[in-house]
Amino acid sequence: MVEFFIDGVPVQAERGQTVMQAAVASGHTIPYFCWHPQLSTPGNCRICMVEVEAEGGAWFDISCNMPVTAGMRVLTDSEKVRELRRDTMQMITLNHPVDCGICNKSGECMLQDHHFAYNGMPSLSRDPKQHATKFHDLSDRIMLDNERCIMCSRCVRFTAEVSKSNALGVQHRGDHSLIRCAADVNFDDDPYSDNVIDICPVGALLSRDLLDHARVWYLKATPSVCPGCERGCSINIWTRKTEWTLRSLDQRLNNRIDRITPLENPAVNGPWVCNKARDLAAIFERPRVTHPLVGGQETSVASAIEAAAALIAAARHPVALVSNWGSNEELAAFHATLAPSFQNFVKHDWQPQPGERLEDDVLIKADKNPNSYAARAIFPLLPSDASSAIPLSTDLVFVWGEGAPMHAIPESAQVVLLTSYALPENTRAHVVLPISIQTERAGHYTNFAGTSTGFSACGPAVATVSDAERLFERLFAAVSSVQAIMTAGVR
Amino acid sequence: MKHLIPEFEQWKLRYPAGFESSLTIPCLRRIQEERGYVAESDIDDLVEYLGVPRIQLEEVLEFYTQFRRAPIGTHHLQVCHNVSCTMRGAERLLRHLHDRLGIVAGQTTPDGCFTISRVECLGSCGTAPMMMVNDSYLENLDVAVLDTMIAELSAERAQ
Amino acid sequence: MSGQRVFMDFPITATSHTLADYRARGGYEAIGKALREMQPEQVTKEVATAGVLGHGGAAFPAGRKWGVITLNDGQPHYLCMNADEGEPGTFKDRWLLEHTPHLLLEGMLLGAYALQARHTFVYIRGEFDLAYRRLADALEEAYAAGLFGEQILGTDFACDLVIYRGAGSYVCGEASAMLTSLEGKKGYPRNRPPRLTVAGLYQKPTVVNNVETIANVPYIVKHGSARFREIGTPKSPGTQLLSVSGHINTPGVYEVEYGYPFADFLANECGGMLRGATLKCVIPGGISTKVLTAADIMPITMDHQAFLAAGSQIGSQGMIIVAEGTCMVSLLQVMTRFYHHESCGQCTPCREGMGWLEKISNRIVAGRGAPSDIERLYQISRANDGTTICGLGDAAGYATVGILDKYREEFEYYIANGRSMYDGRVEVAV
Repeated sequence: MVEFFIDGVPVQAERGQTVMQAAVASGHTIPYFCWHPQLSTPGNCRICMVEVEAEGGAWFDISCNMPVTAGMRVLTDSEKVRELRRDTMQMITLNHPVDCGICNKSGECMLQDHHFAYNGMPSLSRDPKQHATKFHDLSDRIMLDNERCIMCSRCVRFTAEVSKSNALGVQHRGDHSLIRCAADVNFDDDPYSDNVIDICPVGALLSRDLLDHARVWYLKATPSVCPGCERGCSINIWTRKTEWTLRSLDQRLNNRIDRITPLENPAVNGPWVCNKARDLAAIFERPRVTHPLVGGQETSVASAIEAAAALIAAARHPVALVSNWGSNEELAAFHATLAPSFQNFVKHDWQPQPGERLEDDVLIKADKNPNSYAARAIFPLLPSDASSAIPLSTDLVFVWGEGAPMHAIPESAQVVLLTSYALPENTRAHVVLPISIQTERAGHYTNFAGTSTGFSACGPAVATVSDAERLFERLFAAVSSVQAIMTAGVR
Repeated sequence: MKHLIPEFEQWKLRYPAGFESSLTIPCLRRIQEERGYVAESDIDDLVEYLGVPRIQLEEVLEFYTQFRRAPIGTHHLQVCHNVSCTMRGAERLLRHLHDRLGIVAGQTTPDGCFTISRVECLGSCGTAPMMMVNDSYLENLDVAVLDTMIAELSAERAQ
Repeated sequence: MSGQRVFMDFPITATSHTLADYRARGGYEAIGKALREMQPEQVTKEVATAGVLGHGGAAFPAGRKWGVITLNDGQPHYLCMNADEGEPGTFKDRWLLEHTPHLLLEGMLLGAYALQARHTFVYIRGEFDLAYRRLADALEEAYAAGLFGEQILGTDFACDLVIYRGAGSYVCGEASAMLTSLEGKKGYPRNRPPRLTVAGLYQKPTVVNNVETIANVPYIVKHGSARFREIGTPKSPGTQLLSVSGHINTPGVYEVEYGYPFADFLANECGGMLRGATLKCVIPGGISTKVLTAADIMPITMDHQAFLAAGSQIGSQGMIIVAEGTCMVSLLQVMTRFYHHESCGQCTPCREGMGWLEKISNRIVAGRGAPSDIERLYQISRANDGTTICGLGDAAGYATVGILDKYREEFEYYIANGRSMYDGRVEVAV
């Protein structure tokens, strides 16, 4: 360890750290735009310049590229440092359109924050701003506004160093420089493309889907876990704050997922997610099963439970297909209640889709389900030849979740289905009971490496839909009761 | 550009191992020497040959002033307008070129014979004012020298 | 008389640049001597003792730079000659490249030997035409004569040299940008640390030297550092090749000993002012050095100490001589346009500041200047002073502040009256 001083306070740094790294690790604030802990250091924004006291006279340099030396005395808030920051902000905003009023980054913009903190004055220039492309379609997903771009190069470095798509680069030079996508790369094909939206410190890179949907301060973030694969990246699901409820005829506008961003988790995904996480609304907001069905007819939960319990109690060769989207808690509840009544197999609710990247060494895993690890710790995996696990003698299949291989179920078998989404495969089931989805309750998933991460409810539950855990208990109780009657009847 | 590969392979012999990336600029220059500019297909072929990301080649082509991605006039008149040349009459001579050819910097004559560019210091201040005509330096310019050059190059094209 | 010569000691003929002619005047004897009688460290020591200062503009002692390289450290070392000569006003490296390319090749061999650089490079600006062909032809002659490649002059010493042509970028004259360009990328300068001598070309220890600096090495090795130190002044040993242009009768490249009086230079080598004009000012070492008025420069000698004391620098030895009646506001406009065009765009103060300087200059020249513009020009220059990745921003600041400091009244006049004090004249009237 090396000891040095920031604003007179002793700080312990690890050997080889820069002043910026040591400052961040010890809770000192030095502003930055281009520096990012997970990317290389270009040292181009210059806002992180600090003063270093020295015998021969103080010197000034960027802290992101400044090695810590023992005993060095760094000042982050001296008069000269303030002047340097004022000048830097003056320059950064010189050709910037300052169109916060119509910019989606407003409210979470580093440029706003730093200008407010370190300059706060209007431009000193009497000359027209340099103009550049606005609304450039970097890809179907991302819009680029070159006027707002401060050439920090975070997006370029991300595609070179993290996603390795080498999609982005700089055209021209000087203040005519433009971020552009390589002609041989469709940036939509980079499954990590949207991370550049997060790391862009200004409103230059924005999601096209989300353009002008909502001001960021209308929204609140709920920590959750992406179910898109067994990496289980930590995410924030953003929904509208109650105090910003829209008076609208379409209440979905107040209940929908507004956006999804990474939640930094050093143990799982770092600060990144893949685009599938961003698009989870397309999965979560599919049409739902809202009411129980028996024989295709809507009925009450109690009737449906009764019908299901009768089938389960009567079955002689029952098989259960367990969901690997079930949370740790739901799996435990199933294990403790209904599981002993069945031959249990874990199925893959989701398979890789055509065109979807299977696996890579960044984040994406081949198993496109969030909780295979926990499910398979308890139950065996359904073999790929499903009919070997579901022989002709099977008379009842209890299906939990979507994606069951209905074609492999013998025609004579009855199906009891607990599921969330209204899918064509549901018609195979005699009894359908709707269950809640991840965003409506709390729970944990365990990822491929055995790391468990929790999620919370980010939206209200649907009144007519139960949690699977609750249904397992009720079904178990109902089955036990039927079995008691049957046994009594036999005696 | 694939017929140039044997030439590129010869160049590699004098470079240390692992310097493939360095070959971008010399290869692009050689390609442009032949074609007059660098075509998109040249870039694709060079990506394949060198194994560098295409974005690197695109950045290089856009950063350096000598590279072109589209053809220009037969005779590229690159007139220095930096300090010493300005002090010895560069602007006056650019006006003369406009009088004679009808174009200003950034333009090409309708017959495709001449393109004028303004360029920065070419390291020839002692013989100012001066210009490059394609790859060659034309120094100690005055109206007469310009007129002779225009006449010769126009005649050459007519042949 | 401007003194002794290191370079310009032979007549220029149709063949004076060839191998045969170079050998005839004692060429390639120094490398022979070094390989036979000296260890690499001794060559470096000789260069260090000679005290030759870098001729690219920074005037860093070449021997000290060489001495930082750790020999036998198991890493490849690279030596790169910076022939990107792009500083406006400067054309003296071109003289060496065109007229005595073998001197440069011999200097590279000596440097490669001293630094254990198996591979060497000459980065030459893309626009240089004759200079490139002369150097390339000389290199082939040298290879054919066994002076490059393996087993040089019958020893274990091996060395390859690549001539790398640039493609139009002033900033590639900055050493770290030059190396990034040599790696086949756009010429973005790098932050230090690490120094290039620690991590340079492809992150390996690299020495970058100016053409003229390398050109001094054969003389130093052949005649010894003591002999070299007999030339010039104690603090500026040796000679300098001065490229001189502007409002004089005989612009060109002249070799003078350091310490030669400017007044003599103007009268003799420069042939006096054009058409009897009066000296107004001098840009001493490329436009990135501060302008010196006639009163500043007429009394002094031309060496590092004297120019520093006068408030400027030797710089890149690209001297531009300006006659009375020249509009300095117009000249500054040309300079700001240049820096704006050449800024690589990486770092904030330069990327934004260069365009701003030019816009203000243009507006003043167009007659729409405002009183606050002068302070604004100073402020932009200050914002670029020591805050940027490379010296381009600082250079623009020096050019601007230098002219403003000495010729503020011309700017005030232009702003107040909407026109130039000198009708926008930049030429000497015929």
